[in-house]
Amino acid sequence: MKRFFSSIVIITMVVLGGVCSAFAADKLLVAVAANFISPFQELAALFQERAGTTVEPTYASTGKLFGQIVKGAPYDVFLAADEKRPDLLEKQGLSDKPFVYARGQVVVWTAKRTLCGASDWQAVVKNPEVQKIAVANTESAPYGTAAMIALKEAGLWDTLKEKYVFPQSVAQAFQYAETMSADAGFCAYSSALSEKGKGGCFYTIPQAPPIIQAACILKGTENRGAAERFAAFIGSPEAQKIKEKYGYR
Amino acid sequence: MDPAPLYLSLKLAVVTTVVLVILAAPLTYLLVYVRFAGKSFFEALLSLPMVLPPTVLGFYLLLVMTPQGSVGRFWKAATGSPLIFTFAGIVLASLVYSLPFAIQPMKASFEKIDRRLLESAYVLGLSPLAAFFRVIIPNAINGLAASAILVFIHTLGEFGVILMVGGSIPGETKVASIAIYEAVEALRYRDAAMMCLVLVPVSYFFLLVINRLTQRRIYGS
Amino acid sequence: MDLNLSIKKKLPHFDIDVSFSCRKGRLLVLVGPSGAGKTTLVRMLAGLDRPDHGRITYDGETWVDTDTGIFLPPQKRHVGYVFQEYTLFPHLSVAKNVAFSAADKGDVPSLLRRFNIWHLKDRKPDRISGGERQRCAICQAMARRPRLLLLDEPFSALDAVTRQNLREELQKLKRELSIPIIHVTHDISEALYLGDDVLPMVNGRVVRKWMVQFMLKGRLPEPEQFFEDRADYNPRERRDLSVLYDSLEVMH
Repeated sequence: MKRFFSSIVIITMVVLGGVCSAFAADKLLVAVAANFISPFQELAALFQERAGTTVEPTYASTGKLFGQIVKGAPYDVFLAADEKRPDLLEKQGLSDKPFVYARGQVVVWTAKRTLCGASDWQAVVKNPEVQKIAVANTESAPYGTAAMIALKEAGLWDTLKEKYVFPQSVAQAFQYAETMSADAGFCAYSSALSEKGKGGCFYTIPQAPPIIQAACILKGTENRGAAERFAAFIGSPEAQKIKEKYGYR
Repeated sequence: MDPAPLYLSLKLAVVTTVVLVILAAPLTYLLVYVRFAGKSFFEALLSLPMVLPPTVLGFYLLLVMTPQGSVGRFWKAATGSPLIFTFAGIVLASLVYSLPFAIQPMKASFEKIDRRLLESAYVLGLSPLAAFFRVIIPNAINGLAASAILVFIHTLGEFGVILMVGGSIPGETKVASIAIYEAVEALRYRDAAMMCLVLVPVSYFFLLVINRLTQRRIYGS
Repeated sequence: MDLNLSIKKKLPHFDIDVSFSCRKGRLLVLVGPSGAGKTTLVRMLAGLDRPDHGRITYDGETWVDTDTGIFLPPQKRHVGYVFQEYTLFPHLSVAKNVAFSAADKGDVPSLLRRFNIWHLKDRKPDRISGGERQRCAICQAMARRPRLLLLDEPFSALDAVTRQNLREELQKLKRELSIPIIHVTHDISEALYLGDDVLPMVNGRVVRKWMVQFMLKGRLPEPEQFFEDRADYNPRERRDLSVLYDSLEVMH
């Protein structure tokens, strides 16, 4: 009986201790657009080391994260892949003024070496050997929207309809192309520069609008101090160098 | 609201139900009437899709269905088209996903049939195959109907697996559950609500139909 | 020209070791306490079970021979089998049941009339009485024009009056048929009423035939007489006979 009680006491103390330390330490919940996974991991690690604040990311398409925030998800900072949604959040009074933190671009990437000598991206997507092309959900992923704009500009959007596959995010689009489930994909430039990306080849898309990625601090944050420090860090020259490594400007 | 995802969901559910009920019957026969080594392992394997999270199932299906995967490769060689991101692909995924739901009610139904009925059939000259169709199936009709209902509803509600291997292609793999999900993501709540409003009565209607069919048989002529 | 059987089979509590013949037109009764192996024996005749050793032949045709590995499946033996229960297919009407494997579908109406079940022809088995069901089952078995008729305690689940009626019908049927009939029962009075030959079975073996003399006379020997007269019985036989003695009903 005595042993039973003492173990209860010990367990309670451990649990309470854990809970308290969770409150005591700084923690940031960051919503991150799917294309930005790789650079974010390096940036977050650096920030954690410096500031002692734990950074917990959630990766998904911009639209999905936006939807969550609107419904009250407890993020502190939002790193989107467009400007539209952070602006919308500001208008709805849910965030501070957004700032641009990266500029990306959408490219056509393929793992199939036989497609690597083509003249341009249009030749690749029009190639009859390319039966499946991954395009991120055009409503909720800005890279997908950009891809659609480019295809429409080139007059190809309707003619290639049979070939499209619509993954939920641009990261998934790269995954489809990389595993050759899709013959090619509209991916983030940073994916093309990654380890896996180097195994294939990419084509730039002049017709696609540049992806201007904006971030904002959410009004509902309980850790404003850390959030502001993080936002500042993301915009710093040091962070800029890291981002450039991954293909962002 | 675009009705295409709804038709697609229905089409998938009907095709899956028909194919799976036909496939599950001999499998269930094996489980109930045939003794063989490793039967319990086999049975557990067949029940696996019921306990695995749909995303786990979807992940493994993705691996085998891509053009490099074992099944995808075979399919491409046999038909010339890829398996992943096609209607055929999500049918296959649905078959795996709902297999245990097809087998369980059938198994319960087969087990209820007294062995002596089968033995009577053999003595009267029926081969095991003929006995299967003339004795087992007619006396297991409740189990077959229950299997059909379960598979149908289960397929209508299928989401995670189709998300992984479907590619959300309108008219091909973008079923209602995915369309609803994407509508919610895009904040098109009205579209989502309307699709839900259609799905519920449709499911209910089919449930009624199949229940009626079974009842008539229970109470005889 | 008849049925010959000589088989052995190991069961959990004892071994079956039986040999007998049954001629056409004769009804042979296997009688004894439950669990004596009678049902297993009959199942082996039907092809639903296999002996460990032995032979079963009918009219010169080998159905089972463990030495040469011959085993004729039940479908090919053309045997009629009437169980105690679950003989009729519940999803079919009586007429369809009888027609199920009828040698000639045209026979069915006359068969139904002959067995007095014409008025039941459109009913399902769950809508007729136990006695009617067994009558239908016999009709169903006979529709196939079997070479051998096996009945495994067909009347045991019925009330005394129905039992008696059906026994009488079976007696009548026997006189019309020219096939061997093997009937299993635990009821000694039924055995004596129906049987041209009676084989008492206990623990898998047929007890010595002289017992039958006493049974035919309608009485059992006194216990002393029982054992004294046959002092040469070995211990196992004595034990078997005790069991049989205890289980036999005295018929007045």
